[in-house]
Amino acid sequence: MKKFLTAIFSIASTTCALAQETPTSPLEFSGSVDTYYKYDFAKKSNIPTSFASDHNSVSLGMIDLALKKKTGKASFVGEISFGPRGQTQSIPDAANNNSSFHIQNLYVNYDFTDKFSMTAGYMGTFIGYEVISPVGNFNYSTSYLFTNGPFQNAGIKATYKFSDKVSLMAGLFNDWNVYSATRGVSSIGGQLMVSPVEGWTAYLNVLSGADPLGYGTIEDLTTSYQITKAFKLGLNAANYDRADDAGGYAGVALYPQVAVADAVTLGLRGEYFKIKDVGAVQGTTYTGLTLTANIKSGGLTFIPEVRLDHNGDKPFSNKTGGAAPNAGQFSLAAVYAF
Amino acid sequence: MQYRLVLLLTLLSFKLSAQQKQFSSDDRGKFIYYEVVEKAVVKDSLLLRANTFIDLYKKSIKKQGTTDTSIIAKGVMVIDKTILVASHPSGEVNYKFTFEARDKKYRFWLTDFEYIPYGRDRYSNYVPTTTIATPLEKTPGKLSAGEWKDIVEAAYSKTAKFADNFKKALSTGQAEKPKRKTNTISTKKW
Repeated sequence: MKKFLTAIFSIASTTCALAQETPTSPLEFSGSVDTYYKYDFAKKSNIPTSFASDHNSVSLGMIDLALKKKTGKASFVGEISFGPRGQTQSIPDAANNNSSFHIQNLYVNYDFTDKFSMTAGYMGTFIGYEVISPVGNFNYSTSYLFTNGPFQNAGIKATYKFSDKVSLMAGLFNDWNVYSATRGVSSIGGQLMVSPVEGWTAYLNVLSGADPLGYGTIEDLTTSYQITKAFKLGLNAANYDRADDAGGYAGVALYPQVAVADAVTLGLRGEYFKIKDVGAVQGTTYTGLTLTANIKSGGLTFIPEVRLDHNGDKPFSNKTGGAAPNAGQFSLAAVYAF
Repeated sequence: MQYRLVLLLTLLSFKLSAQQKQFSSDDRGKFIYYEVVEKAVVKDSLLLRANTFIDLYKKSIKKQGTTDTSIIAKGVMVIDKTILVASHPSGEVNYKFTFEARDKKYRFWLTDFEYIPYGRDRYSNYVPTTTIATPLEKTPGKLSAGEWKDIVEAAYSKTAKFADNFKKALSTGQAEKPKRKTNTISTKKW
């Protein structure tokens, strides 16, 4: 009888506990995991852009974990990743090809007022349309513009929000993709955000200073417009010039996307990317067309993708190992965001 | 046999606790949260208290219009997704709030609920992924059904909490909050 009453009491207390509303925690925890299969039609890895590099293998992307907390006007973000995409394929890889981790974001922020804030630490770059995390990209493979641009910047920046339609950022940064500066705090960067109409946001970015190979200046336009409920158009255009006429690159990518069903969106990425001449050494040009679907269910996004690239200088390989002007791949990826 | 019965009752208690109240629908087929409250206070005081409440929460609710008997406002509530002991914003729900007062009685309702999903940006902050909101009454596809149900339940939970806070605010007087007497200790006499 005693045991029975004890059991009844435990049921009652369980019911009461569940009926209470769980308070919202000030600590934010989120993240993602991703995995993929890719088949390159040349039967080897062929397209020189970032991540999803394995051919004919069920391979890992990364597990990404992020913490954020805001107390009053101060907040921090700490985001770390493990796995090929988050380790050896990211820059920097702390242990140089050995099992390690990668810091995606590690910064503190202070909101001096509703309009003015400052941020310091290591952050995802403000340059470009695509990002490291697969959760932030529509396409699973990445563009040449992303691969050749900065991934992350360590520095200190100030942002002033004039209104919901206009804001300005300016900052001082280390060289690209390094936890600590190799040539001092040597870069200056800025971003103007404008939102001319509802649904349309454009970022004009500039970053000038030390890069992985020397010094250079990158100017970048990143914009997206949700034109209708079903149709969104994105654009990224960038120009990078290295100092002393040491080359650089320029490119443009267009991202039209259309929602064909409640959980299904189709997107196309069309890219033109040119590596500039260096003295007598001719540059080269890539064009690429990527067709991608996003099929969502809860936190899971299933991403089938076909990609075709072309370069008249034949930097790719064909099935027999010979030089080829074209490359193609098919991939299936699964990304779960929590 | 006794323990099987206990186990069955435990499982049943989980299911009962998990059931939540749901939005009603108005004559337009839109979700609505509607309450009529009897309160022995004159109309002007009720309006004053309601205005004070909305002014206090001006970051999340903004007045659109007022008359001598009513207030119309638009608000936004952030929906959280809880993982273990922490959570993060998963979206926001916009709504229209209407308040009407008479002597000793008032009513209010929230309707025109629309959802905007959030996504993580490059700095790991949760921001709206679109500016085009989806009405909560929308029937989701099979792939989104589970997630949509959670969103609607979370929206109802937040709405009910807003309603409770609003009713509490209207039940208190406009006079200053009673100051807590702080006990001061004197070490001179003992």
